[in-house]
Amino acid sequence: MNNTKRAKELEEIILKHSSPAGRILSILEEIQEREGYLSKESLKYISKRLNIPLADLYSLVTFYSFFNLERGGKHTITVCMGTACYVKGAPKIIEELERRLGIKEGETTSDGIFTIKSARCFGACSMAPVVRINERIYGYVFPESLPSLLKLYGWKEK
Amino acid sequence: MKIRSLEDLEEIAHRGIQKIKGEKIRIAVGLGTCGIATGADYVYTYFENAIKDLTERVFLTKVGCFGYCSEEPLVKVTIPGKPLTILSKVNPEETEEILRAVLSGEIPDKKALCKIEEWNHITEYMVYGKGLANIPSYSDLPFFRGQLKLVLRNAGLINPEDLEEYIAIGGYKSLHKALNMKPEEVIEEVKRAGLRGRGGAGFPTGLKWEITAKNESDEKYVICNADEGDPGAYMNRNELESDPHAVIEGMIIGGYAIGAKEGIIYIRAEYPLAIKRIETAIKQAREYGLLGENIFGSNFSFDIKIVKGAGAFVCGEETAMIASIEGKTGRPRPRPPFPAEKGLWGKPTSINNVETWCNIPIILAMGGERFSKVGKENNAGTKVFSLVGEVKRIGLVEVPLGTKLKTIVHDIGGGSPSGLKVKAVQIGGPSGGCIPEEGFDTPIDYESLRDLGTIMGSGGMVVMSEKTSMVETALFFIGFTSEESCGKCTPCREGLKQMLHILHKILSRRGSEEDLKLLEELSMTIQTTSLCGLGKTAPNPVLTTLRYFREEYEGLINDGKD
Amino acid sequence: MVKIKINDQNLYAREGENILKLALKEGIDIPHLCYHEIFEEPYGACRLCIVEVIKDDERFITTSCTLQAQNGLEILTQSPEVVKHRKILLELYLAQAPNAENIKKLAEKYGIEKSRFPKRAFVTDHLNGKCILCGLCIRVCGEVMKAGVINYIGRGPSTKINTPFFEENPDCLGCLACVNICPTEAVSAEEVENRKILKSWSETKVKMKECKNCGSLFTTYPLWEKTKSLLMEMDTELEELCPNCKRELLIKKLTKNLPLPKPY
Repeated sequence: MNNTKRAKELEEIILKHSSPAGRILSILEEIQEREGYLSKESLKYISKRLNIPLADLYSLVTFYSFFNLERGGKHTITVCMGTACYVKGAPKIIEELERRLGIKEGETTSDGIFTIKSARCFGACSMAPVVRINERIYGYVFPESLPSLLKLYGWKEK
Repeated sequence: MKIRSLEDLEEIAHRGIQKIKGEKIRIAVGLGTCGIATGADYVYTYFENAIKDLTERVFLTKVGCFGYCSEEPLVKVTIPGKPLTILSKVNPEETEEILRAVLSGEIPDKKALCKIEEWNHITEYMVYGKGLANIPSYSDLPFFRGQLKLVLRNAGLINPEDLEEYIAIGGYKSLHKALNMKPEEVIEEVKRAGLRGRGGAGFPTGLKWEITAKNESDEKYVICNADEGDPGAYMNRNELESDPHAVIEGMIIGGYAIGAKEGIIYIRAEYPLAIKRIETAIKQAREYGLLGENIFGSNFSFDIKIVKGAGAFVCGEETAMIASIEGKTGRPRPRPPFPAEKGLWGKPTSINNVETWCNIPIILAMGGERFSKVGKENNAGTKVFSLVGEVKRIGLVEVPLGTKLKTIVHDIGGGSPSGLKVKAVQIGGPSGGCIPEEGFDTPIDYESLRDLGTIMGSGGMVVMSEKTSMVETALFFIGFTSEESCGKCTPCREGLKQMLHILHKILSRRGSEEDLKLLEELSMTIQTTSLCGLGKTAPNPVLTTLRYFREEYEGLINDGKD
Repeated sequence: MVKIKINDQNLYAREGENILKLALKEGIDIPHLCYHEIFEEPYGACRLCIVEVIKDDERFITTSCTLQAQNGLEILTQSPEVVKHRKILLELYLAQAPNAENIKKLAEKYGIEKSRFPKRAFVTDHLNGKCILCGLCIRVCGEVMKAGVINYIGRGPSTKINTPFFEENPDCLGCLACVNICPTEAVSAEEVENRKILKSWSETKVKMKECKNCGSLFTTYPLWEKTKSLLMEMDTELEELCPNCKRELLIKKLTKNLPLPKPY
């Protein structure tokens, strides 16, 4: 994205969130929503524009696990690691995903398609174990059912 | 239209009733996150396509979650004059057959879970109709028999995206009542009810409001803590998804009582549907004048803003939450001063949990005195628990405080699904502890749970069977709290890291008696010296498992000796 | 004034007075790492300043930096409970910052020779194995110097202190307040040629200011920029001189009745 275009978009976001409560978080969340992550350039722009030291802003975005400083894959697979999912075998799902996709949690496949992440709890404990792909939550996911689930998102078994 | 009076409210209620039990057949698909995860949105779409030419006869709508999660997707069918029937585990392919049956005035028996002839919404009493003899009644089902639905009275029965339906079941009448009282009278009513904070610590809500009200300031705030972070707990998600107006109504009443003009709902980003529903509800409330200037024609004005959290468990702690809303990292600060004195932007602020807010309209409707009679002395009202894990019937369970643990696990939950023995229940999430089967006779109240070494917490209840390792469970929770520690104070940041190390050592059978001793000493120091509640309660999973399942730790140590 | 009791000592205090500050003033030794008197608000992170409060039949442990004087308050600074927890905390510090000399000394004072916890493993550490994350450097940089060069990064056990993106930060004034305030001497800086190098902060380099007269490097460039207008309305002759040359020129001006700069 070129700088003028970025500045225009960021200005739009800044103007949209004008009331003080939750302002900074909302701005950062919306930038991430639009760009997929928080780029260094965007953070520097926000820092200058809102007069927040870059060190404070960087501290903020590294504190909250929701923010990504790197671009993720096309599809983000998030495995819930809440208590109910844990008890019902969520760690095995992560293991199996890592094996199938050949990457570790937090990484993105080299073709830029899949990113594996884990989450604290989606609050869908009754369907444990639970996996979220992009915005959709899938209940009762077990290691055996992963291939068919991944195929829905264009994965091909090698 | 803007609602200005009780008459306006009644006019809208009339419209809402037409949707809930009008002349058309009502088909309501339960579309909470749990329902959608099992395909309820497909069920809805199938129905939508099938009734395209039948909209004269059939009214299709979305409702929230009725709480019986292991039976999802749930569809509620109301044929005029007959009881409301709940159909369970509905597949998209079955929609056509269901539709055919209901159009001819019948309910497909094999899909029917139970029926509801009449329902107490507390704020309103709804009579549906009698009949359907071969379908069991709601109260005959073991899952529902021991329950008392106050907070969840509307969940799964009304459309959370339709203000008219909320008003139809008596919504916003409590607000009207409150605005005709003096603020201090409202506080008095909440005090009389004996309501205690449902976020887990159990501080008396009325007292919290009174302190906030008495601190003079030009600006004050009420905050709804919807940062439900305990893994294994999803009551608040459901309350927001299924009955958002109850939360909003509670907050407006609270704002009026303490003298705040602005409310903030701090909600975790992991709950997109709850965010969407609460946003819709706020928008509608504004349109009808229930939020904004001069509510009900009074001189009280109030509005609500949503702030999305960004994935930090510690932000459930009130000073961390305030810092987060102010745009800072969510690191707690020492208390006092408490938020009631110096809260958001340094102004008096009352922070209450979602479920606490849900209770407010009920208290106004029932009266504090009557509310205080529900539950147990000094533990008034009900509590919603999310009953999950190794248990047959999974779901959201609302019981009067003082109900015994075994009632929930065995009578309502039906015990273990696999025939394995139930070994323990984990209550209160990472801040709570594991209660062994011997403790199941304990009544669930704030004090009894504390005596067992755990806390009420927000209501997570994870059942564990004999195949669950308690040391691994402890490791899971310490791993969680360590990861979620804000990193400010040393005992929490460094101490939990070291606890994790010792637990790993024990689990890999390299542990010794000294390690166990050190683990205990360290737990006590973290508990005693941490800055905030996260650290102070983080060792509970270890302390309770050491207390009730010490032999499992010792077994691992002795194994290593061979 | 209210009456309080610390150990066996009866004291008078202003109501609401900070107990740690008061105790230190009275010469009562309470160990502390994250407290510094230049800050109004207590931070409450290091937890070493814990004391035991005796209130009726109740006893509880709390930090003295967050405790306020109230009539009848009675505290113990070295009770067995306090010492027990403080020792565990010191063991944690020894593991976290194995190279911090004053932590070692403090631990020795409490009879700890070796921590039972494994030492933090690192090959290189920008804070020399001495940082205890007390946050004083962050606070002095942000709140006092208003520079905001460094901050916490991450959270929980992986919390670090450094510059954003672990890159040189042009906002640094080179004032070294962080070096001076650090209780464990963790922050390091050096002067190479005409630059200050903040080794701990991603090798941030700050240009020095040369005296126009003698050529000595008397302050950093950004500090000079920031302070030049603060003290005096300078005449340009004085502006670019080091303190020594400045003094000499001022004396010359005074003795020879030349026009003096206006005081600010």
